[in-house]
Amino acid sequence: MWRFRSVVSRIIALHLLAIVVTSICMPLALYMMLDYAAQELHHRALREQAAQILPYLDRRPDGALQLSLPSALAEFYSEAYGRAAFAVLDPDGRVLFSSLSGNRAITRTRPLTTPFEYFAQHRDNTDIYGVTVTADIGGQPLMVQVSEDLAHRDVLIDDIVAEFFTRVGWITAPILLLLLVIDVIIFRRVLRPIIAASALAEGIGPTRTELRLPEEGMPQEVLPLVHAVNHALDRLEEGFRGQREFTADAAHELRTPLAILRTQIDMIDDPELAQSLRNDIESMSRLVNQLLEMAELETFVIGDGEVADLAAIATEVAAYIAPLALSQGKTVAVTGPRRSAPVRGNTDTLGRAVRNLVENALAHTAPRTTVEISVGALGTLSVADHGPGVPITEREQIFRRFWRRDRRRAGSAGLGLSIVSRIIEMHGATMTVEDRPGGGAIFSIRFPDVIEGPATNTHQLETAF
Amino acid sequence: MRLLLVEDNERFAALLKRGLSAAGFVVDVLATADDAAAALRTSRFEIVVLDLGLPDADGLEVLTEMRRRGDPTPVLILTARGGLKDRVTGLQSGADDYLVKPFALEELIARLQALLRRPGSLLGVALKLGNVTLDTVARQLFVGDQPIFFSPREIAVLEHLLRRSGRVVAKTFLEDNLYGLSQEVGSNAVEVYVHRLRRHLAEVGASVQIHTLRGVGYLIAAEK
Repeated sequence: MWRFRSVVSRIIALHLLAIVVTSICMPLALYMMLDYAAQELHHRALREQAAQILPYLDRRPDGALQLSLPSALAEFYSEAYGRAAFAVLDPDGRVLFSSLSGNRAITRTRPLTTPFEYFAQHRDNTDIYGVTVTADIGGQPLMVQVSEDLAHRDVLIDDIVAEFFTRVGWITAPILLLLLVIDVIIFRRVLRPIIAASALAEGIGPTRTELRLPEEGMPQEVLPLVHAVNHALDRLEEGFRGQREFTADAAHELRTPLAILRTQIDMIDDPELAQSLRNDIESMSRLVNQLLEMAELETFVIGDGEVADLAAIATEVAAYIAPLALSQGKTVAVTGPRRSAPVRGNTDTLGRAVRNLVENALAHTAPRTTVEISVGALGTLSVADHGPGVPITEREQIFRRFWRRDRRRAGSAGLGLSIVSRIIEMHGATMTVEDRPGGGAIFSIRFPDVIEGPATNTHQLETAF
Repeated sequence: MRLLLVEDNERFAALLKRGLSAAGFVVDVLATADDAAAALRTSRFEIVVLDLGLPDADGLEVLTEMRRRGDPTPVLILTARGGLKDRVTGLQSGADDYLVKPFALEELIARLQALLRRPGSLLGVALKLGNVTLDTVARQLFVGDQPIFFSPREIAVLEHLLRRSGRVVAKTFLEDNLYGLSQEVGSNAVEVYVHRLRRHLAEVGASVQIHTLRGVGYLIAAEK
């Protein structure tokens, strides 16, 4: 069954249905009631007319009845006027007095068992309607008939009944429609805080856990839901904060002893021993950094509308790595057009991914060769080295945590590429490993969609990563 | 040179003090943000090394207060927090440089010296690398003891490279700093100057080398 999703449209639909039913039924009912009331009034008027005649009936001393109507009444009942008629009959139906010519009764009648009886008659091409009432004058029972010509009835009430639909009945629909409009306005006002809260809730995410739904102006019926949602958000924020604080504390607790150790080593006089210890502490620091990076990634979420420039990232990573590369007799270069290559993503984490790729390439590329970072126009970035390449059988394994081809090699815990893989996955991008023509490996990152952005100049090299 | 070291870890502070003293700094050590802020209000230091993770407050608060007071003393931040956001916040709060723990003592000393050589600083107007010395005030270059005459543009390029020796100077940075905004820069103008500078340095027997990092920039380092 087709259902309305909006409360307002549901109300409008049901209300419209109610309007249709009501605007048909209500005028009909009103008409019937009005018609009944009008008929009642008419009946009463007829009976009163009959009763009006009674005071003018006298019993003379000789026992015969005498009717002496005042002129106004006589005129009213005159045949010339023609609108009304009366007749006075004895219980046997004999006509004693009549306003009709030939002293006729208005209608034939039997003795009445009830105090009055209405009749309708078609006579001389006119419809007449009347009443017969019983009366008692000086101990003699009588019947008085009074009638009226329906064609000439000028009772105001009949006009009202006749014109009820055109004059009054139509008003129901507009009134109900007006009510509907008022209802809709009221509902919109009531729903406004909920709509505002929904807009606010849109912005809530792991990056903005501090937002809460406003409770002010919220309808009482909705408040429990708002409370519950806000409490849920409190708990979520608590969880996120706990995780972030742990990572930050762990970073501090791990890095400070390393810094102490490092500084102590820097003061050792034996240069050979110092260098060997320095190498150890460097691989230890690297491992700590990578573990902390992995922990940070667990709670990391890319913010809405975050844009990262692959070209800027490439040059910054290259500048960051350059001193290390040069110290090993190697070098890094950025190729591709010198313009910005914006993609949806987080600059910090993408920078880490690229840095890890470049460090990996630098570790494998042959001495006196160049690690090339190349940025394509369509949201691609690749890192090429002049090393041994990655055998096809290992292309899946290298992204696993703690994977190393040569476990004897120091300075690598095998976390770098799994960090890269996690960051790339978070960005909805894909990564491939291929053989570089002429020897070596190419790691390529491809973003699903390219976005337009302003050109950026990278002045501040080595800011991060 | 008087240096204020704000670091709460006693052992680390003692070690750093030893290392920095050996490099010629006169080091005062304070362990809390409150003490540091008080000392900075009353005494003058040439440079400050500030750890961010202090027991009583975030080190950034000390820095913010300094800068609000208009104190221009160069500040180098030490942090265990490696996130870019933390570093950017540090630089925006008015830090002049930062180092993430752990770091080489040598690196810390080199960064501090670089900060003290900055324009505005009274000390260290001479930039030295290998046998090359550049007097940034007289704009005079020496290789060994010999004064060498280079064009002003070449001296300018060399100065930018020497100020960040061992680190990369972006090509775009050189382009923007060697030419006014109004001037049209030929796409390879900087390359031409660097090429010429490299040749001239070799000709006069300088023991420094300018490395080109294609698509990135240049890096000057002492020859090994």
